[in-house]
Amino acid sequence: MGGEVLELLLEPFAYSYMARAIWVSALVGGVCAFLSCYLVLKGWSLMGDALSHAVVPGVAVAYLVKLPYAAGAFAAGLLAALAMAAVQRVTLLREDAAIGLVFTTMFAAGLLIVSVNPASVSVQTIIMGNVLAIADEDVVQVVGIAAVALAVLLLRWRDLMLAFFDASHAQAVGLSPWRLRVLFFVLLSACTVAALQTVGAIMVIAMVVTPGATAYLLTDRFGRMLVVAVLIGTGTAASGAYVSYFLDGATGGLIVVAQTLAFLAAFAFAPKHGRLAAWRRTRAASSGGADR
Amino acid sequence: MIEWLAAPLAHDFMVRGLIVAVLVGTGCAVLSCYLVLKGWSLMGDAISHAVLPGIVLAHVGGLPMKLGALVAGLGCALATGYIRRNSRVREDAVLAVVFAGMFAAGLVLFVKVDTDQHLNHVLFGNVLGVTWREVVETGLVVVPVVALALLRRRDLFLVCFDPGHARAIGLDAKRLEIALLVGLALVIVAALSAAGIVLVVAMLIAPGAIGFVATRRFDAMIAVAASVSIGASVLGVLASFHLDVATAPLIVVLQAACFLPALWIGRRAVR
Repeated sequence: MGGEVLELLLEPFAYSYMARAIWVSALVGGVCAFLSCYLVLKGWSLMGDALSHAVVPGVAVAYLVKLPYAAGAFAAGLLAALAMAAVQRVTLLREDAAIGLVFTTMFAAGLLIVSVNPASVSVQTIIMGNVLAIADEDVVQVVGIAAVALAVLLLRWRDLMLAFFDASHAQAVGLSPWRLRVLFFVLLSACTVAALQTVGAIMVIAMVVTPGATAYLLTDRFGRMLVVAVLIGTGTAASGAYVSYFLDGATGGLIVVAQTLAFLAAFAFAPKHGRLAAWRRTRAASSGGADR
Repeated sequence: MIEWLAAPLAHDFMVRGLIVAVLVGTGCAVLSCYLVLKGWSLMGDAISHAVLPGIVLAHVGGLPMKLGALVAGLGCALATGYIRRNSRVREDAVLAVVFAGMFAAGLVLFVKVDTDQHLNHVLFGNVLGVTWREVVETGLVVVPVVALALLRRRDLFLVCFDPGHARAIGLDAKRLEIALLVGLALVIVAALSAAGIVLVVAMLIAPGAIGFVATRRFDAMIAVAASVSIGASVLGVLASFHLDVATAPLIVVLQAACFLPALWIGRRAVR
């Protein structure tokens, strides 16, 4: 009996495409979670959504002219970043409106290109991701992006932290906040492209926001927040991909559901910043005098 | 030229598509003016994605799909408010967590439940596939919302642009904000069948942004936003017939094309 259950639980690993989906998702989830700590604390959540939508026309064109997926996406991401900066520079529009205007337009342009030549690329794959059927050369791209991004982040995480949260200190020790910001957004667009393959354009925002938000509820130190976020990101992505075997698909959806559940659990039960702890504190405060 | 414009209208589905596109375009344009001023661009994005689980669950429960969508959309706004008030995470991150989580849950449910809705239609809309019944339903929602939004535009403008002042002169800012949210959710749900989740977001930002850069007066901003949106909707529907491309994305791209001319006009007016 026990053996049968174990056999059933291990079944996904018997298929190479499942094993691959699980470790690719875990890797991408981990890197995105690393970035999410900065995004959450800086209030840049919308950027994650914006980049993932803005790269779609690049992907569509890359498919049309048979260029690597990542190259097109990256060019479109850069174009989007420039357009957002330009709109904010020449108008008085609020930041969110400027970002929104650019990314929704580029996304629509991408869908328009796809609709002109529907056979070339599956919209479903761009929007929903499809890590179960990911092609070999795409795996190489995704893993390459994630590995490079992870290496850069491990080397420079402290510099990025200083540049974002203590700019004057950063300048005093000889770092260029502007250059680090560019580095960060290059890493973010690269990881967006990788995440696009895993969960699709619409849900990339969860990959680059939710683990960081969860970790922020669990710890007060930035270094520890990075570790917690990466663990959550890796764990939820791997388990979402694993569970999708039993539920026949919707891998991206299950990964994001797992991340959301982790956030809700932290929101309720976090030792210091959770609802339960806050409720206990108010109760202790109101009954404190009577007990003693 | 006349022939080019009139040829598509010989088909009944083109007439329906045109009416629904203009209705949706008007509703989104008027609301987008408030969203752009208030900094709520992400709100339209969030509500429109969060409706997905509502659509699927309504189907399971045998309820009208639009009711489920509306409840889920408003639920997203409420849940965000609750978590924001009770945790230290910033509002933009909470909104992102909630709407992406709801969308993902909707997607998982969608795969498991056999609904009569095609996922692509919910996501991308199908302007040219709407029925007369849907046209009437859209009108019944959009016309009152637009009328109210225009009648109360002084108060709503103040709440969006200067909430402190609004409270000082005795306006119930909280209530007006909630009214704006409900109006937003209603228009998004009404727009679903025509524009789809993905493109409603664009129609809720671009017209307001274009009106904002073209003029300094709020009434003129609404007028510019509405004309751009209606113009793009009409042209988009007719041109997509001739060019054989997807209608809703074409409308959005045509709208955005008005941004640079609007910017130029706005700068000349200042000089």
